[in-house]
Amino acid sequence: MQVHLPIAEMSIDAEIIFLVSAFVGFLSGIFGIGGGFLTTPFLIFTGVPPGVAVGTQASQLVASSVSGAIGHWRRANVDLKIGIVMLIGGVLGSFVGIMIFKLLQHLGQIDFAISFLYVLLLSSIGIMMLGESVFSKFFKKKNVRKEFNMLQVPRFINSLPYKMRFPRSKLFISALVPGGIGFVGGILASVLGIGGGFLLVPAMIYILGMPTLLVAGTSLFQIIFTTASATIMHAVFNGTVDMVLAIILIIGGVIGAQIGIACARFVKAQQARLIMAVMVLLVALQLSFNLFIEPREIFTAVLL
Amino acid sequence: MIRALLIFLVCCLSVSYAFAHSNGDAITIDLAQDHVDITTGFNGARLHLFGEVTQNGQVVITVKGPKKDMVVRQKSRIGGVWMNSDSMRFENVPQFYDFAMSDAESDVLDSAKRRALGIGFSYLKFDPKDDDVSEDKRKRFQNALLREKQSEKLFPIEPERIVFLSDHFFRAEFYVPSNVPTGQYMIDTFFIRDGDIVEQKKTSVKVAQIGFAAGVKLFASSYSFAYAILIILIAVVAGWLSNAVRLEN
Repeated sequence: MQVHLPIAEMSIDAEIIFLVSAFVGFLSGIFGIGGGFLTTPFLIFTGVPPGVAVGTQASQLVASSVSGAIGHWRRANVDLKIGIVMLIGGVLGSFVGIMIFKLLQHLGQIDFAISFLYVLLLSSIGIMMLGESVFSKFFKKKNVRKEFNMLQVPRFINSLPYKMRFPRSKLFISALVPGGIGFVGGILASVLGIGGGFLLVPAMIYILGMPTLLVAGTSLFQIIFTTASATIMHAVFNGTVDMVLAIILIIGGVIGAQIGIACARFVKAQQARLIMAVMVLLVALQLSFNLFIEPREIFTAVLL
Repeated sequence: MIRALLIFLVCCLSVSYAFAHSNGDAITIDLAQDHVDITTGFNGARLHLFGEVTQNGQVVITVKGPKKDMVVRQKSRIGGVWMNSDSMRFENVPQFYDFAMSDAESDVLDSAKRRALGIGFSYLKFDPKDDDVSEDKRKRFQNALLREKQSEKLFPIEPERIVFLSDHFFRAEFYVPSNVPTGQYMIDTFFIRDGDIVEQKKTSVKVAQIGFAAGVKLFASSYSFAYAILIILIAVVAGWLSNAVRLEN
């Protein structure tokens, strides 16, 4: 069924968009990811302008992170105080992100920047995950977190001002650290249309030294606000949030996630990580074609 | 005095009567519909134009969408990756263009006239924003712009045909695709004899979003903050419902 998108001013195949968002929702149900890194490039690939793809996908991530965060909240796995500090950084970051987005658009480099950043982020994370899941097969898991903390973190981070106590995570750390992590997440949400969980989670474990139990819930909690803020920024400063597209993405995502969660118990954590790593690398590979292979048409024309 | 006035009145009336009826019109046209409505289910539309000629001659019709400024960018390989490196701006680019002819393209009008009126694909000219652009570059970028418009189906690859249903009565059909830009579309009909334009008729079609689509667009542009909040609320409710349903299972 062809549906006209009022903001993108184009018609799309509603079934295809629905199926893709349901599939991504399914994956997010299994792996506990937001899936923005899959949906946003797909939308751009189908011809949705990058601004609309990023801005609208951000609103879909609000739905998936709310759904995930409620579950963690019920199990009391959210450190509210760190979450709030992170989301303040996140809201600021989403504002800086929209400015970067507009600047890149003005320079005519937004498509390039999106492809480039995705390739950079996804390939490095994919390789890391792949390495981890391959090695953990052969070696017994070491306590990575502890080593990391003792080797690298303290000096620099301890010297930062505005120290705050976070009793839930048993941390005494500068507010700039969680705020800064949130800030990066906010920029990613505005520029790339992703929640950035795959970047926030390791940062919270390795840089903040948060208890692993609280990390997923807390990151989801703050992703609600950064993606909501990215949605507002794109709607207000760019006019690129499409309600019709958003509704299709949200419904598809919600339904897919339900199926994914039901299937999650049949998937082993290690397998899941391996599959995720391969998928992330495939998306990175696909996107790197845009960068490295000569395009069929080297000209593009856009409205000013 | 009264007689003079009466004679004058009668003269006036007869003159206006003559104007109304014989009218001197070589060509009359009408649109089947003077608006294209873009609804949520919009998937392209056809514009039908009917007309009548009273004399022998050729007919050419052009359809031009609203004019906007555009930038054309050229990619090149920089440090191993393909990115935009050169660009050029054009002003007053019609966002949609199509034309129809009653005869084979070449001999209806000479190219100077066609260029002046923008009749025919290769006679369209867009104004470069900067004057100090080489002719070669202008051509390359303009051709790229035309190609892009063609690939979006907003510019034709070949002219449409004007179909004569009888000696006098003709019909033309234009297709507007689903990605058609909104705005006022100017339709110019030229009646041509011996390489000269005898008569020109103008009409227009309004292409606009209506109903839900128009409401969303208006809401999004006039109350963008509230619009964003509404979408976020929808997302929050959907996320919450999704979680609630899961708990019951």
